[in-house]
Amino acid sequence: MELNIIANLLIISLVPMVPLLLGSVGEIVAEKAGVVNIGIEGIFLLSALTSAVIDFFTGNLILAILTGIVTGTGLGILHGIISVYLRGDQIVAGVGVNMLAYGLCVISLVTIWETFGSSPPVKTVPKLKIFDLRVSPLVIVSIAIALVTWYFLFKTNTGLRLRACGEDPRAAETMGVNVMRTRFLATVYGAMLAGLGGAYLSIDWVGQFTREIAAGRGFIALANVAFSGWNPLIAIAGAFIFGFFEALSIYLSIRYGQFALVYLFKTIPYLGTIAVTIIFVGRAKTPAALGKPYIKE
Amino acid sequence: MSSKKLGKLEFTEYEFFIIETTGSVAAGLIVSGIILAILGYNPLRGLSLLLFGGIRNPDYLLSRATFIMMTGLAFAIPMYAGLFNINGEGEMYIGGLTALLVAIYTGNGFLAILMGGFAGAVLGLIISVLRVYRGVNEVVTAIMLNMAIYYMIIYLITAKLYDPVAPHESLKVPASARFGLLKLGVFRIHIIFPLALIFIAFSYYILYFTKLGYEIRVSGLSPASAKYAGIDPNKAMINSMILGGFFAGVGGALNVIGFMYYMDSMLTSMHGMGFDGIGVALMGRNNPIGIVLASIFFSMLILGSQRMQLLMRVPKELADALSGVIIIAFSLPYAYRMLISYLRTRRMIKVGAEHHS
Repeated sequence: MELNIIANLLIISLVPMVPLLLGSVGEIVAEKAGVVNIGIEGIFLLSALTSAVIDFFTGNLILAILTGIVTGTGLGILHGIISVYLRGDQIVAGVGVNMLAYGLCVISLVTIWETFGSSPPVKTVPKLKIFDLRVSPLVIVSIAIALVTWYFLFKTNTGLRLRACGEDPRAAETMGVNVMRTRFLATVYGAMLAGLGGAYLSIDWVGQFTREIAAGRGFIALANVAFSGWNPLIAIAGAFIFGFFEALSIYLSIRYGQFALVYLFKTIPYLGTIAVTIIFVGRAKTPAALGKPYIKE
Repeated sequence: MSSKKLGKLEFTEYEFFIIETTGSVAAGLIVSGIILAILGYNPLRGLSLLLFGGIRNPDYLLSRATFIMMTGLAFAIPMYAGLFNINGEGEMYIGGLTALLVAIYTGNGFLAILMGGFAGAVLGLIISVLRVYRGVNEVVTAIMLNMAIYYMIIYLITAKLYDPVAPHESLKVPASARFGLLKLGVFRIHIIFPLALIFIAFSYYILYFTKLGYEIRVSGLSPASAKYAGIDPNKAMINSMILGGFFAGVGGALNVIGFMYYMDSMLTSMHGMGFDGIGVALMGRNNPIGIVLASIFFSMLILGSQRMQLLMRVPKELADALSGVIIIAFSLPYAYRMLISYLRTRRMIKVGAEHHS
């Protein structure tokens, strides 16, 4: 009986794992190149919205997912231009993007569906059946992306060059690496993955768009980046652990959820994230040039 | 060739300040206008309501400015030490809750406000200690705490502190602890606004006239020279976050003790004000006096957006998008400097060419 509950919880944990994993793997690439993007939360929100809109009006899931990715890419280009070419303050810009995204989402909800809270239900991605489990194909896709990204970062020449941009950009430039372009592309790649994560939130997991759909997941993904020590393989485990807190919160809400207690259970993912971060995060592996604009001489 | 005609290539900080501020606000307004136009509303009517719709009630305008003035300080002071305090939101909630409880149990409004401030300061202490001694990113901790505190307080209000007569509201602040209205002839104003100005003066004094403030400012400018001067930048960081948290906590307390007299179960009376404070601090250039002016400006936008929602049925969250763009624009001082020197150079070339012909 107890074992059953735990097994169930572990399986449910795969559901919240996906956006956390996509967000953090993307952020790892951007940060390894030297750019912090705390606007993942905003990307989750806007991509969840745009893919839900396309899904609602066309019913074409592939198109809807692509729209989410394109939305993320667009915000990534914005953040890339700001932080790489205009040498903007990356944290401040990220805060701004999050606020802009929130405003845009509520305005669009009202204009498109005339509601302030959530969209009507939309078609969701069909689940795969593995033995007796029903699993979203994006669970497998996100793990595959993490593996490929790890291989790219640590086993290829281009990956080495990318990492050099985040550790010692001047030395990288001497080696013949185009630091600006590498950082820009890394930022866009990171935002693209976050865009996929956002699409997953609305058209795979929840089945509608709500204004609270991101719920701080962009920041939990950031916590996971530090937890993983900037390693996509460990990020898989991290996303699973952080996903577990959310699964636990959902499970308790359904099991014991009287009206007010639900709110108390909702704090679990956030307090759990803080606890895990305090216990496991060391500061040794932060890329040396992280967050500092590169100024070419 | 007179140098007067050529103009100078450098520009003063004052010129830069004017250009950056107007540029950022203009960018925000232009994007908002485009959003309005795309959604099929009249952009000019929308923008004028957004800008000026809030002035109709000066008392409400200034009271609303009070809270974001405090969260503005909460972002600005840690910024001096090189830290980003995104926790103004959570610190404000905790400050409000603590003030409410103290007011209910003691009936003393002043004590309630101070204790609210201390509660916020404790949050600031936690976040900065984790950052300094454990290397945990302060932005992540801050957001996690914001969310956790948000739900925890909703739980407390709906399950424990609710008013039996109005279940969506908490128990009320007792009359003895309330701060009310100040009457100046025909003009009436909530006491919390002048009270907040006293806190602003206090922050100014600390930042510019005490050792504590000096250490915070030096550590942010150059941690290396701070160490050389015998200042511990880590301690300065922690102090800055304690101070910032204190002011945000006071903001929440002022909201409860001097304006709402209760907390509602979804925290709508405070929601988002911590983030508005970031825009306020950036526009006010982290200067306490600048923050007063910027908080009134942002208060205008927020009230204007409510007016716009009422008259045009445009969601008031347009104000969030607008402040988002303003904040993004304020992240770009280098871009403004480039723009100004580009324009200057072009003018010089033009003037030079005219002289040669």
